[in-house]
Amino acid sequence: MVTGSLNLLRNSFNKLRIDHIFSRSFQTPRYRPPYWYEPKERVPSEEFITQENKQFIEEVMQDKLQQQASLHSPLVNIDSSKAAEWNPQTRRVGLIARKIGNYPLWTKDGKKVLTTLLQVVDNHVIRYIPPEEFSPMVTKKYVWKEKNKLGCLLVGSETIDPSTVTKEYCGLFNNAGMLPKRHLFRFMVSPESYIPPGTPLQATHFRVGDYIDVRAKTMDRGFQGVIKRWGFKGMPASHGVTKTHRRPGNIGSGGEKARVWPGTKMPGHMGNRWRILRGVKILRINTKHNVIWTLGVAIPGETGAMCYLFDTILPLKKHTTSPAFPTQPFVEDLPLEYYDESVQPFEEQSITFEEN
Amino acid sequence: MALAIRRSTSEVFGAAKWFIRRDCRALSTLPEKAVEVPVEKKRDRPVVSRIRANARNPNLALRHVYPEFLPDPNPKWRNSLREKLERTDMLNRRKQIDIPEFYVGSILAVTVADPHAQGKTNRFVGICIERKGAGLRAEFTLRNVVDHQGVEVRYDLYDPTVHSIQVLRLEKRLDDKLLYLRDALPEYSTFPFDMDPEILPDGTPVPVNPVQVKLKPRPWLERWERQELQGVSNIEEHLKEKDRVRRELRKEPWEKYDLMKQYRKTIPIEDQNDIWAEVNHQLKQLQLTRKKVSRKRTFGVPKTQLG
Amino acid sequence: MNQADVSKLVSKLRINVLPKHRNLNNPKGPEGRIDKLRKTVTGLIKFERIELNYNRADEARQYAERLISEAIRHGDCHKPTMDTANFWLLEKELIHKLFKVLVPRYEATNLSYTRLISAPQQQYGRHTDKAVLELRGNPFPDLMNYKTNNKLLIQNVLLDAAKQDYKQSKINEIANNIGKKGNSSLDKSSKNIEVPEKPTES
Repeated sequence: MVTGSLNLLRNSFNKLRIDHIFSRSFQTPRYRPPYWYEPKERVPSEEFITQENKQFIEEVMQDKLQQQASLHSPLVNIDSSKAAEWNPQTRRVGLIARKIGNYPLWTKDGKKVLTTLLQVVDNHVIRYIPPEEFSPMVTKKYVWKEKNKLGCLLVGSETIDPSTVTKEYCGLFNNAGMLPKRHLFRFMVSPESYIPPGTPLQATHFRVGDYIDVRAKTMDRGFQGVIKRWGFKGMPASHGVTKTHRRPGNIGSGGEKARVWPGTKMPGHMGNRWRILRGVKILRINTKHNVIWTLGVAIPGETGAMCYLFDTILPLKKHTTSPAFPTQPFVEDLPLEYYDESVQPFEEQSITFEEN
Repeated sequence: MALAIRRSTSEVFGAAKWFIRRDCRALSTLPEKAVEVPVEKKRDRPVVSRIRANARNPNLALRHVYPEFLPDPNPKWRNSLREKLERTDMLNRRKQIDIPEFYVGSILAVTVADPHAQGKTNRFVGICIERKGAGLRAEFTLRNVVDHQGVEVRYDLYDPTVHSIQVLRLEKRLDDKLLYLRDALPEYSTFPFDMDPEILPDGTPVPVNPVQVKLKPRPWLERWERQELQGVSNIEEHLKEKDRVRRELRKEPWEKYDLMKQYRKTIPIEDQNDIWAEVNHQLKQLQLTRKKVSRKRTFGVPKTQLG
Repeated sequence: MNQADVSKLVSKLRINVLPKHRNLNNPKGPEGRIDKLRKTVTGLIKFERIELNYNRADEARQYAERLISEAIRHGDCHKPTMDTANFWLLEKELIHKLFKVLVPRYEATNLSYTRLISAPQQQYGRHTDKAVLELRGNPFPDLMNYKTNNKLLIQNVLLDAAKQDYKQSKINEIANNIGKKGNSSLDKSSKNIEVPEKPTES
């Protein structure tokens, strides 16, 4: 009897297996999206809607687009006497732009400079969150923040068909009376540069000759070796070198430091990171198509990539005089093009040099 | 063969039918015309092929004269707005100076503003050996031999420092690029700086110069023997057996049938039609004004020529 | 930036073309790739519907489309086109089919000449994307199962009702506007959306 029960016990213990071990450890703070964030992507599904109903949906869409186009900028209704003055400490809103390519311009002294074209596509202010209410998400990195000093302006760009995104995402745009936008971005602004939601932002928000900071994602180059990623020299092709033409060589010394030191430059994934290019000069602005020409070709990303433009924070290139504040209101009869004084417009006569 | 046989049999049948019908008609009292009408209708059914209609656009001939108005065909760099802005800039520049029609092989005289030159302008005469680049990046290279020294100057077509581009002799050569002039005897790329412009009568096609140059002995800058050049006469003299074997090995006879490779290098007809429709009117206007100016010039006093 | 090639004219394809070609692994290199595609294009013109690997199908599709568009543009009296057809079609009777059957079939169409449908994947074995490549207007039954768009489905019934309401509200608005034609200027000013007041700092 006893041996039988013992056997039973043993058998039941035999069946016990340890598959999972739970242990508590320090967990990094979880990603908490900002409270204005709503899921955007919607799974498309076949809905078997009849042809007439599809036409009806299209008609409603067109009506809404017309309604949006006929909206007046709320900036007109604000009296300018009340508005605050610009000072060097204020932070203005920025713009969302698309990189559309490069081409050369010539300066007045006959030098050829390559420029990058940025198109400001259909930018509208969507929402303002005052500094008291603004509580950004927790991130892993410790970021020093000016506490409760800056408000947040949500800016959207490029209107899309509402049926391609979720209902919740569309709801973000309702109080501004807008259709949903493809790109949303938050700009930290000082409270005096508040702009009412629904205001369109133009390329003339910046002036010609200003310097801007451009934030964009770099081109994705995949897993790259050390020569392309860090610019190492490699080793010679001949002179007895075997199998180490493009390799990093030694990555550390012995003794106390007999390990790979943190931050050693090694092969790995290159590109597809957010980078900020600071102090880019604006050479030319087209007011009809909202295109900005900037000096140089170093703006990150491929043709067609999105980038975010801010007033520069470089101390020597900051604004010295007041820019359009809080932004340039929409005016009908602006000149088509603004040129920086260093740039030779193509409409002018050929360059001649004076004899001294 | 089978189709041919079928066709012939069907023809025989048709002929037989026709004979029978004809005989019957002769017997019957019906009028002849009434029978033939439906047959004609069947034959000329109109087939609307957009592909053929688009390819017939006369504007497409402009692509040889203004190749830089076509964008780079690489889809990674294409953007319709940027191309449009670029075209307006090019037209604006063309309103300022007269950029004439010229080809690789034409002899040009270019005057540019130069801060380091005496009189602040610089004039260079030479044969155009290469023309490349799209949009505002369009450029061409002139070559000449000055004091027994080969000189090449690369000019941007839309550079505002260029004061004038004059075509001294308008002609084409047998090849698209004349880079082999670098390895040819110097007399083939020597042109006097005081050349007189040769004027072609209106409406004549651009002549092709069938001259074949002689190359200097090796070493060369490139392997000219592998490039299937038309304008070189003595290339075989300088080759060894090894070079001929290698040339045969490197040949790619299938490349001319690679339809997608051609497609990726060109701008399709439909896209070109849009571009030419946009710029054609303004280019015509520019041409007209240029003609007026040139007519005025002919009535002016001719310059005295140096002996 | 390179200049576009102006020596040749091509018509635009009605399909998506990748910026770069696929290499289609082959020990013989580019020549072997073209040989492979020649076989596929010949098979497509012959059988009008074939099943094969997706990558090869997509490449062969582009070549087949180009061949047919060249044939439509130049007809059978153009020597270079005849040469290309001769190169791409390994069975010579298919040249007659190209010019006498396919050209009349596709002359007036505005669609692409071929269709590429991705086929279900294999359950076992190596995972490769499969596809069905077919000429449009082929004699076989259709591969896609088009469901009828039933008017009695709930979403269609609801949308119909919404449409009625929308039209009615539009008509009402127009009627109201006719009544108030005199003071239309007032209407416009009231249409402006009200400016949300700037939150005051406390």
